[in-house]
Amino acid sequence: MKGLNTRVYLWGVLLVVLLIVVPLLFPRYQIALMTEVIIFSLFAVSYNLLLGYAGLLSFGHAMFFGTGAYAVAVILNHFQGIPILLAILAATLVTVVVGFLVGSLLLRHKGAYFALLTLAFNALFFAVATKWYSMTGGDDGLSVWRPDLNIGVTILNMTNVKVFYFFTLIIVGLVILFCWYFTTTAMGKTILLMRENEERMKFLGYNTNISRLILFTFTGALAGCAGAFYALFFQFTSISAISIDMTTTVLLMTFIGGTGSFGGPILGALVFTYLQDFLSDITDRWPIIMGIIFVVMVLYVPGGLSGLIASIRERFGTGNVTGTLETEGDD
Amino acid sequence: MDPSQGILEIKDIYKDFSGLEVLTGVTFSVKNGERHAVIGPNGAGKTTLFNIISGKYKPSTGAIIFKGRDVSKKQPHVLNQRGMSRSFQITNLFQELTVLENVRAGVRCRQGLRYSFFKRPEHNRVVAEKTEQILELVGLADVMHEPVSALSYGRQRALEIGITLSTEPELILLDEPTAGMTREETAEAIRMIDRVTRGKTLVIIEHDMDVVFSLADRISVLHYGAILASGAPQEIRNDQRVKDAYLGEEE
Repeated sequence: MKGLNTRVYLWGVLLVVLLIVVPLLFPRYQIALMTEVIIFSLFAVSYNLLLGYAGLLSFGHAMFFGTGAYAVAVILNHFQGIPILLAILAATLVTVVVGFLVGSLLLRHKGAYFALLTLAFNALFFAVATKWYSMTGGDDGLSVWRPDLNIGVTILNMTNVKVFYFFTLIIVGLVILFCWYFTTTAMGKTILLMRENEERMKFLGYNTNISRLILFTFTGALAGCAGAFYALFFQFTSISAISIDMTTTVLLMTFIGGTGSFGGPILGALVFTYLQDFLSDITDRWPIIMGIIFVVMVLYVPGGLSGLIASIRERFGTGNVTGTLETEGDD
Repeated sequence: MDPSQGILEIKDIYKDFSGLEVLTGVTFSVKNGERHAVIGPNGAGKTTLFNIISGKYKPSTGAIIFKGRDVSKKQPHVLNQRGMSRSFQITNLFQELTVLENVRAGVRCRQGLRYSFFKRPEHNRVVAEKTEQILELVGLADVMHEPVSALSYGRQRALEIGITLSTEPELILLDEPTAGMTREETAEAIRMIDRVTRGKTLVIIEHDMDVVFSLADRISVLHYGAILASGAPQEIRNDQRVKDAYLGEEE
């Protein structure tokens, strides 16, 4: 077990070094793409806490992502001089409230009913974003301006691509780290046990409806935080952030990466973002190619890329499965 | 609580499922520290009665008084937190997880580690100690790191009891703990149940008459949704109505 931990830490250190060093060597465009990957990683990780850990298939995760994106835009446009971190925090709190309200209406439902209700709510949110012109700008969207960050000793210019990259890396990175920690906490274990056997959990003294509501609100808030960064990244919020397409994007990222491990969705976000970037460069018909890749993945690699890596390692006997943090794994 | 009063009072419980009357006025009481068996032929309503006591179903009419309070409309998790814990006739475990994780799920709930975003149950010493105690008690300490699905049926049944005990209940409800076991497994299971429930309050549903008469201080006979007789094992053995309705078949 000691050897395994050491290897995980080594990989972790290597990853952090890469994330710090690489942007200093690459052009602006690549740095921007990496920023996008980090933001989508959080979105996908939050989605996987629902899908992989709790076994809840939601078709409405974009409603929180979009709410976070719109909230940060509205807050920055209406409160001049608000610090950037406070704006992100406030936008996240807005999604906490929204997640709690939507979640309270959904908490008794599971399976297909849950999936369809989340889809319906997403459609409702999309309709509101389209029609509530005075607040959201409708089809025109909202521009977002990134305020500078005052860290005491100096003032950081957020419009600089590198500065914004490191800002995103640190804040979003910490949130993702907390998500990982969360999977080992009492609540994280409770949702895992509920997926395995919800009835037994009730008879062991757990309020499973409240647990589901807490989880739904929490993952909504994480998605909202990712959405806020997304709006800041593009310096723009449009209805695409709250559309069903955005839900499909996060679903595919999570699925491609694999729902069976914590790191899977991060890998999925990376592969999806770069693949999209690469394909859209060579052809206008890139969505068709993406579509075919996803169909093949879903049909032949149901465990996603992380599942594929794990099974290759197992087959060639390079020891225990280290890189992936098994959803089920405990000790 | 008045010690002379029962820890559990079943008062005139009726239950019908859209017209099908399963329980037609069940009344009996269980005293603190008593081991009470509920027997009856198939279809007498035993498991339905358990589902009502433990909060899975609500009674159509009547009341369940637990520790002096009416709990007939309470949810299962509330009843568990108040000190009632049940097992299932059909094994109801976390199949993909290890034996240790199964028992820990109940232990940590009792310790208040349910919904925390910061505390980690695996790093809690009290939880670890209590989990180990229960594993020792039901004889599963040697397989604690095995997944449940790798266990024999007999040992899964032992784990079923272990999980039931893991929330440290004041009232233990066991629904046919020896169901589906071989004769040897049954004998071993009875010894274990006897050991772990000594001095505790137990209500047990059982088919096997050997189990019932070796374990119970009191027996209630459920017949066509009503209590036919309730008393000490010797009284039940000699009760003519019980003989006619139930035991007679086996003699």
